[in-house]
Amino acid sequence: MNGLLAIWPRAWPRERRSSATIVLAALLLVAFMWLLGRLLAFAPEPIGPAAEQFAGGTLVTLGLTLSSGVLGVVLGLLAAVSKMSRLPPLRWAAGFYIWSVRGTPLLVQIFFTYFALPELVPGLQLSDFNSAVAALAINVGAYNAEAIRAGIQAVAKGQSEAARSLGLSPVQTFVHVVAPQGLKIALPPLVNNVVALLKDTSLAYGIGVVELANVGNRLQAATFLPVPTLVTTASIYLILTTVLTQVSGAIEHRLDVEQRH
Amino acid sequence: MSHLHPPPPPETRQPLIVAEGVNKHFGAAHVLREVSTRFFQSEVAVIIGASGSGKSTFLRTLNRLEKHDSGRIVVDGIELNDSVKNLDAIRREVGMVFQQFNLFPHLTALENVTLAPRKVRGTPAAEARRAALELLARVGLQDHALKHPHQLSGGQQQRVAIARSLAMQPKVMLFDEPTSALDPEMIKEVLDVMKDLARSGMTMVIVTHEMTFAREVGDRILFFDQGQLLVEAPPDDFFDDQRNDRIRAFLGQIVH
Repeated sequence: MNGLLAIWPRAWPRERRSSATIVLAALLLVAFMWLLGRLLAFAPEPIGPAAEQFAGGTLVTLGLTLSSGVLGVVLGLLAAVSKMSRLPPLRWAAGFYIWSVRGTPLLVQIFFTYFALPELVPGLQLSDFNSAVAALAINVGAYNAEAIRAGIQAVAKGQSEAARSLGLSPVQTFVHVVAPQGLKIALPPLVNNVVALLKDTSLAYGIGVVELANVGNRLQAATFLPVPTLVTTASIYLILTTVLTQVSGAIEHRLDVEQRH
Repeated sequence: MSHLHPPPPPETRQPLIVAEGVNKHFGAAHVLREVSTRFFQSEVAVIIGASGSGKSTFLRTLNRLEKHDSGRIVVDGIELNDSVKNLDAIRREVGMVFQQFNLFPHLTALENVTLAPRKVRGTPAAEARRAALELLARVGLQDHALKHPHQLSGGQQQRVAIARSLAMQPKVMLFDEPTSALDPEMIKEVLDVMKDLARSGMTMVIVTHEMTFAREVGDRILFFDQGQLLVEAPPDDFFDDQRNDRIRAFLGQIVH
């Protein structure tokens, strides 16, 4: 879907269309969050009376997604750079991280962070919300690492040769030449990861975080009305993922200097 | 004589680059065999030879984009080895122009030219910009400063790449087949910029297939064959009085 980008005048420069889209999407999201509880309150039983729980759960879902999303990009970048490092211990550590995280279920990782970690590291008892953020960030970070690494390795070798022959140091070459191009290539898979992350936050319900899926599930268990409760839950997820895709489309559009799309 | 500037007598000149007994292997292939030569201040040396003869590889060893296996390469008094400090010092002084231009696609022409002076030399932004605009004017692209590489023709991109190298005020410029990826009608604009550069006294080492250009601009022709530097000679001797059968055969295949 390329919806929001297309509503701006064709004459607008690329950056302005992109910024306008991001701003509008953010406003839509805020408006949606503000309206959600108020609108759902008008819905018939069993949704109407539970409107505030739905609004609260949605807020928790967004909080989980944003916190672990930001942390996950940082972790992914660190792991990707480590995996391409010249120092073997860094490469091994990053390899182990990516291998173990991608090879185990997210639900087990969430349980592990919440139940097992305090036993392994005494004193490290995170709240259910923070445990979920940590587990989700670690999980998405591993997938981000592979996306970022693939993007960086797709940058033509001539680019770093040109930068190095101008006298730029390896770090400067990475920061100013290779990373901007590599991250642009990595952006579509990174966005996929964040959309997947938004949906994966529902697994936080396993350790009792009262996020959107948990609210929906509790309500259907209490009312024995699975259709309206789960349709409402799914619809809210769908609206959130749609807004997220609009923002990512706008970012991609901004970075698309060559205007291939 | 068509030389753009007469070289001073050899004994008075200091060599800027010295290569002694340079060897290089790619796996089992022995791509450079005991190559020895010197490049002097303000000299324009043109390297020719069939593809696979080692000429580009040799050029790339001069700023260590390729490591040599044995022998010595000394640039401006600094030996090229695994010392990172040496390497960065050398690369600041040695400009390189590539066959595929290798402009940074996410930056404008102007930003391509200012990046290295700002980050490596610490030149203030305004000053780097002013110098870059001057260089872009010198290569005839003052009106294209704010365009991105994909908005420029191949010939224009290569001229930006030359300006980008010049911005570091190198002591020597290496050209690796700078016109081989260009459409015929764009070759001249790039060669004209290079002629200007030669006229200004820039030290240049050029790998090319442009024989007319080699003859007009070169002070010395180096002919590579199967990894060996077979012949070094002034252009007139090389092209007119060629007794070596391999070179005659090579020149016979080139369309003039």
